[in-house]
Amino acid sequence: MGVKVVPRHGASLKDRLYLPAIAGGMKTTFNHFVKNLKDTSNLRTVQYPEVQPTDITDRYRGVHRLTKRDDGSEKCVACYMCATACPAQCIAIEAEERTDGQDEKRPKKFSIDLLECVYCGYCVEACPCDAIRMDTGIFSLTGKTREEFVLGKEQLMANERSKDFSDD
Amino acid sequence: MSSASIIVVIVNILLAVVLAVGTTPIMVWWERRVAGFIQDRTGPNRCSIGGFRMGGLIQSFADMLKLVFKEDFAPSHIKYKFFYTIAPSIVFFCSFLTFAVIPFADTLVIDGYSYTMQAIPTQLGIMWFLAYAGLSVYGIILGGYASENKFALLSSIRATAQVVSYEAAMGLSVISMLVTYGTIHLSDMVAFQGQLLFGFIPAWGVIIQPLAALIFIVTAFAEANRAPFDIAEGESEIVAGYHTEYSAMRFGLFQVGEYAAMSASSAIIVTLFFGGYHIPWLDTATIQSNIYLVIGAIAVLLILMTYVLTKWMKKNNTWADENDSRSKETKILVKAFWMMTVVVCLVLVMFIITGLGTNGVNIATAVIQIGTFLIKFFMMSLVFIWVRWTLLRFRYDQLQMLGWKVLLPLAILNIFITATFVVVVGS
Repeated sequence: MGVKVVPRHGASLKDRLYLPAIAGGMKTTFNHFVKNLKDTSNLRTVQYPEVQPTDITDRYRGVHRLTKRDDGSEKCVACYMCATACPAQCIAIEAEERTDGQDEKRPKKFSIDLLECVYCGYCVEACPCDAIRMDTGIFSLTGKTREEFVLGKEQLMANERSKDFSDD
Repeated sequence: MSSASIIVVIVNILLAVVLAVGTTPIMVWWERRVAGFIQDRTGPNRCSIGGFRMGGLIQSFADMLKLVFKEDFAPSHIKYKFFYTIAPSIVFFCSFLTFAVIPFADTLVIDGYSYTMQAIPTQLGIMWFLAYAGLSVYGIILGGYASENKFALLSSIRATAQVVSYEAAMGLSVISMLVTYGTIHLSDMVAFQGQLLFGFIPAWGVIIQPLAALIFIVTAFAEANRAPFDIAEGESEIVAGYHTEYSAMRFGLFQVGEYAAMSASSAIIVTLFFGGYHIPWLDTATIQSNIYLVIGAIAVLLILMTYVLTKWMKKNNTWADENDSRSKETKILVKAFWMMTVVVCLVLVMFIITGLGTNGVNIATAVIQIGTFLIKFFMMSLVFIWVRWTLLRFRYDQLQMLGWKVLLPLAILNIFITATFVVVVGS
C-alpha cells in the first residue's frame, strides 16, 4: 500500500500573509450583498404570515384528523390502540355501543390535547382501522386558552386532508 | 462673539454629537440589514409607524424605546454600585469625545473671521484621539470588574491585554503618518491630503503610506472592539463578556458606546488616510472658483440618485398583503422623495441664478465638504460592518501573536523607511 501524502496548507507566503484570503472572503460577502440589494427576491426568507410555505411534504405530521366512512360517520371503533401507543398520553377516548349496524363500538368522546401531543405519529401507526391520520398539513395551531388546544371528536372529524398533498 | 461665530460653533458641536450618538440607531439598522443581505436573509423589515417601515429603520427606534423603558435592574451581589453605574457612561463618553477633534470641512471664512470646523478647536489633534480611544477601554475594565462575575472579569482582562498590545502598534503607525505630514493637527493633515502627487494622484494617506494605513485600520478594529477582534464579548466562551450583568439602558449605553467607537474610528481613518473632507482633484480653492458648476453637478446627481432610489423602491420595497398599510408605503415615499428633490433642486437653481456672495460661496463650500466627509464616513462604517460579517473571531493567542509579532515590527519598519525617505528627499 502506497503512502498518500496529504498537502498541508498554510505554510506558503500567500497563506501566511492572510490578506489574500481575507480579500477573497470579502469579495464573496460583497457579491452576496450586491446581488440581494439589487433584487430582494433573491433572498431565502419567506415573509411568513402573508406568504405561506409551499414545501410541506405529503409525509408531514400535522394536526390529527379522524377519517370517515362513505356515509360520513367515523371509522374509529374505540379500540384504545392509539391511546395505548401514545407516549404523551394526550388521547382520551370514551366508548359507546354502536347501533347503526356499521360496527359494534364507536367513540362517544375522542379528544386530543395538542399541548401535550409530541406529534410522533405513533397513534397513526397503531390504528388498525386507518381511522386517525396526521395528513391535514396544519403546522401552526394557535389559541388564547388552554381549552382551545383540546380538540374534540367533531373538530377532529371536521379536519380534512390537505389539498396540497397528492391523492393517496 | 458675533452671531455667525455662535452659529458655526453650534453647528460643529451638533455635527459631532449627531455623528457620534445620533447615528447609533442608523448603524444598528445598517448592521442588521447588511448582515441580512450578506447571509441571504432580509433582516428587520416589518416594524412600521402607520405603514412606514423606512426599510426597517423603525425597528432600531423600537429597540431603543424598549431599552429606555426597561426596568433599571442591578443585581444584588454587586458591591461597588458606583463603579457599576459609571462604567457604561465612561465607555460612552470617551467614544463620544473622540469626535471632538475631527475636522468636518476646511477653515470657514465669514466676514474675514476664519473658523476651524471642529467641535473643540484644540491644538492636540491626533493625541486627543489616541488618549480618548485608549481611555474608553477603562469603562469596559471597570464594568467587568464591578460586575463581580467571572465571565465579566475575564472579558475585561482580555480587553485590557488586547488594547495594551494594539495601542502600541497603532501609536507607531500614527508616528509614521506624523513624520509624513509633519504635523499633529488633523486639519493640517487633511489640508496636506488635498495636494496632488505627480500632478494627477490625490495625495491621500492610503496612497502615500499603504502599510501604515493597513496597520492603523487593523488596530482601529481592535480598539473599537469590533469583529474579528471582539474577544472581549466572545459569546461562545464567556457569555456576553463585560456586559453580562447589565440590562436596560446601562447595557444600551455600552451598545451606543460601541457604535460611537466604531463611528469615531471610521471618522479618524477617513481623516488620516482617505482625504478627510476633500473631493479628489477638487481642493477648496477649485470648488470656490467653480461653485456654480459644482452646484449644478450636485443638482444633476441628486436627480439621478432619486431616480435610482425610487426605481429600486418600486421593484424591491413591496408587501405581500395588498390590504396592509405597509403596501402603500412605496407610493407615498416615491412622491415624497421626488418632491424633496424638486424643492432642493429649485433652491440650488435659485442660488445659481441669483448668485452667492463671498460668504455664501464659503458656506456652500463648507456644506459640500461636510457632505463629502459624511459620504466617506458612512462608506468606512460600511467597511467595518462588512468585515464583521465576513471574518471569524481571532483566537486569543493568535490575536496577541498578530499584535506583537506582526503589526508592531511592521510599524517600526514603516517608521524607519518613512524617516529615511523624509531625510533623504528632504520633505
